[in-house]
Amino acid sequence: MSKFDKGALFLGLAFLLFAILVVFVWVPLDTESGLLQKVRRRWLIGDALAPSVAGLMIAVGACAQIFEGVTGAQRRQCAGQHIPTPAGGLTSANLGFALCALLVLLASFQIMRWFGPAAVALLGEQFGIEASYRALRDTVPWKYLGYVAGGFVLILASVVAVERRLSLRALLLAILAPLVIAMLYDLPFDDLLLPPNGDL
Amino acid sequence: MGYWDHVWLGIVAVFTANPVFEIFGLPIGTTLVMVAAGFALGIVVGATPGLAGPMAMAIALPILISIFGVRESALLPVLGFLIGIMKGATLGGAVPAILFNTPGTPDAMLTAYDGYPLAQRGLARKALKTAHFASASGDTFSDLVLFSSAPVLAIAVERFLDLPEKTGLIILSLSFIAALVGRSPAKGLISAGLGLLVAYVGKGEDFYPRLSFGQEALNDGFPIVTVVLGVLILGEAFKSMEALIRGGPEASTQAKIAEATDNRFGFAELRACWRYIRTSAVIGTAIGALPGIGSTLAATLGYAAGRRDWARRNPGKPGFGTGRIEGVAATEAANSAVSGANLIPVLSLGIPGNAAAVFLILAMESIGGFNPGPSVFKLHGGVTGEVANPELVVVFGIFAAMMLANLLNWSCGGLFMRWVGVLVHVPKQLLLPVVLLLTLTAIYVQLTSLTAIYMTLGFGLLGYVMRRLDMSVLPFVIAFILARNLEDTARQAFAATGGDALFLLHSPLALAFTLTAGLVVVLAIRRARMADHEPLDRGH
Amino acid sequence: MHTHTQRTGLPALVANLALVLVLGASAPALAEWKPAGPIKLIIAFTAGGGADTIARATAEEIENRKGWSILPEQVTGKGGLNAALALIKEPADGTAIAMVVSETLAYNNVAAGNPVELDQFTPLTTVAGFQMGIVAKAEKGWTSFADVIAAAQAGEVIRFGTMSAKLSDLSYLLGAANGVEFNTVQVRGGKGVLDGVQAGDLDLGFMAGLQTKGVAAGDLVNLATALSNPLVQTPDAPSMADFGVDFDADGYFMFIAPAGLSDEARSALTGAIIAAVSDTSTRAGGVIAKSFGGAQTIHGEALETMLLEQESSSEELLDAVSE
Repeated sequence: MSKFDKGALFLGLAFLLFAILVVFVWVPLDTESGLLQKVRRRWLIGDALAPSVAGLMIAVGACAQIFEGVTGAQRRQCAGQHIPTPAGGLTSANLGFALCALLVLLASFQIMRWFGPAAVALLGEQFGIEASYRALRDTVPWKYLGYVAGGFVLILASVVAVERRLSLRALLLAILAPLVIAMLYDLPFDDLLLPPNGDL
Repeated sequence: MGYWDHVWLGIVAVFTANPVFEIFGLPIGTTLVMVAAGFALGIVVGATPGLAGPMAMAIALPILISIFGVRESALLPVLGFLIGIMKGATLGGAVPAILFNTPGTPDAMLTAYDGYPLAQRGLARKALKTAHFASASGDTFSDLVLFSSAPVLAIAVERFLDLPEKTGLIILSLSFIAALVGRSPAKGLISAGLGLLVAYVGKGEDFYPRLSFGQEALNDGFPIVTVVLGVLILGEAFKSMEALIRGGPEASTQAKIAEATDNRFGFAELRACWRYIRTSAVIGTAIGALPGIGSTLAATLGYAAGRRDWARRNPGKPGFGTGRIEGVAATEAANSAVSGANLIPVLSLGIPGNAAAVFLILAMESIGGFNPGPSVFKLHGGVTGEVANPELVVVFGIFAAMMLANLLNWSCGGLFMRWVGVLVHVPKQLLLPVVLLLTLTAIYVQLTSLTAIYMTLGFGLLGYVMRRLDMSVLPFVIAFILARNLEDTARQAFAATGGDALFLLHSPLALAFTLTAGLVVVLAIRRARMADHEPLDRGH
Repeated sequence: MHTHTQRTGLPALVANLALVLVLGASAPALAEWKPAGPIKLIIAFTAGGGADTIARATAEEIENRKGWSILPEQVTGKGGLNAALALIKEPADGTAIAMVVSETLAYNNVAAGNPVELDQFTPLTTVAGFQMGIVAKAEKGWTSFADVIAAAQAGEVIRFGTMSAKLSDLSYLLGAANGVEFNTVQVRGGKGVLDGVQAGDLDLGFMAGLQTKGVAAGDLVNLATALSNPLVQTPDAPSMADFGVDFDADGYFMFIAPAGLSDEARSALTGAIIAAVSDTSTRAGGVIAKSFGGAQTIHGEALETMLLEQESSSEELLDAVSE
């Protein structure tokens, strides 16, 4: 087995590159004052110093990581503990999972955001309501619509993804859990806003 | 007002302030009820694989803030509840480790080494009783050390440390956390550096919010809850979800094992375990007092020390790992002794040592009126005044709440713990999505903006990737929390010394802190390189 | 000089009757203003602090009195400018207001290069003023700011704590006017100054009301007032003008709304806030009375004038410092 640990080495190189970008590109271009600035005839620490120190810390870590990669230290350490090799533990399958999870979550929250206003726009007239959703965001039942709909999608999608089938249990949970959480916050507390009602 | 007046006010604040109800004319204070409720919840949560103390603290905090508001009278009930969870979860963590060989936390992993074999021999109750006794002992010892040393340390810091030394001390703590928390000091440094970087987005002195790419949502940086909950809670939830999706849904059946006849934990058992509990309590307390080195290492070291000691004294007999109550005792005493001592750096320096401490600091920051650090230990400006220092009263309130939790632990913790063991255990795939929705809702309720939710999801992704890369997330979170303090103190030290760029090197103490910080990092990296020559003793 | 002539007899009766009729008839037209939905209250201060408490308690009291629904929300940072920027994006129909400090729209805005303009807002009312003093620990032995200058002139290095850029400017000018240089240390919030002074990290500093207890107990001393008026607690303390600085640190907590608010909405909101904070038997009024020596409600044109004055004096202050 070669001493060389490619995964660890690449990880170190990636972070070294990132740190260099932080210190020499991002921080100088995206801060107003420099490392130090002269104010009222005195030198003071500017806004760029602290993030540069953070970048330096990442760079030191990255160099050590490269060093550990070259000597294969991490792999040996893990071999001694029956733990799978950590570096390079991020596979494309992992990234695929993360992407899917994010998409499901984002979709749930978009539904949460727009379900209520859409319902008011479509059904408001039938119920004889002229007000906008904004004016109704503290009124039952309108204020719960988006939250319960978005929560339903979130929970149902997650459970189905694991169980690989649609069960009655999953459906019940997806309907009841958002309702219970909504009640938990909304009934006892007057001032609290459930999502998405603070964004209006 | 004197020291003891503050102690008394703190005790009164916990036991009788804002009474919820009365028993025989004795008012029962809100905080008292909250500590008890938190403790009970903590045991349940600790005993539920897939949940853990910090996760419960994270979810409870926004709800608690909704209940009690952000006024000063909210501090003790909220902190009391969180402390209750922290202590309860430590105890509860032993339950699934012993009964099902599924430790909920890494600390409890070593408990399973001896606890599960005992359970298989029908001695589950004996193992649970041992775990309870050891845990309560370690916890109480650690709290006593906290009560006596935190004020002394704080006063020393206040008296001997000027702004440059304070800056040096924060750098030292950071390097400690970065180099020693995870398996790899290199990744620890990267993790801590990322935490600092994220904390510095938006939050500068200039009007333009630095590092924000001109995004208005970042005008005041990333809200602390989005970062902490995203990386700690969502990251873990993503990882567990993935494991579930790949591994299929969790089965919840357990084989029944007939109980053995002798399930007592009596004087004989106490005598057998006492020396291991003693050693482990000291190890756990010492480790807990150092910022960043959590209960897992404490449990590991306590177990390892106990195992060596037992083997030396009982040559030839089957040792730890074969189902010895001494093994359970050594682990549980060590990991429980961490929680009290962990508050030493929190209260006296404002530096969190582990995830539980992070949430206590988060509570203090969210509610306001209590800024942990040396100044809280002042008797009203150091001079006898008429008025009490409200922050010192809170400190003693916290101590009283901890003692209260210990009393609960000794009196009914063991019973409750064994009772929780028979609770049905909810399949993880049903628990996780609900926890996720609850956490995100809690964040929204506090920040009232979907942007905050999206930020949290982003940090959840970061936490997930870091976990996959075996990069410890704790240095990230702790560095994030310390970042502002570090920059502020450095700015102030620089200004106060009239622009001395070498302020870190000009006083002996500041120089010592800075050099030690560098040394810690260098030694940790060297040790990692030598790892194969001298393998770490990690039990198995 | 005007003298009121008392009308008597029939003409008076007719006049009074007419007044009653006019008022009575117009009452339905003047139906009390009500917000079109819940009111968003943007709070520019961190949760849990004194200012946040005032904002939330005031909101609570208005809800109790008026039956309106008020939903508080935190938008912190950049001396209140983040909150101001958030407010101008809200509708100007009385369903969005913010609590900031007067410095937000004056010094902080000018120093940041005017990200907002005064005419983008409808100021409602101030609720409380700062009791800003220059404070040191009693054990320092200083009794007046003159002692500080003497110490600095004798060569002592003096660390002067401040909590905003404006106060840092003032500390610089105080030194410059007296031929000394202070090491100005800007910390976060009045609590930061208080802790720094008590820990000995700072020699003296500006405090806006937190010093009250310590001064009363004799641990702290108000060396000077930083206001244009004497301090309530230490009326004899010299002013900054006595030391050659013609600026002041007057400042107020105040409520604002976006520009274009109707007069009815403005007067209804202003009236509701003033009623809530002026009553010392309520929580809002109580907190203000305890920490700030009572409500100060400057509103209407007086407030607009004050803001304009503060804006121009901020420009002068920035000029004076950059010289």
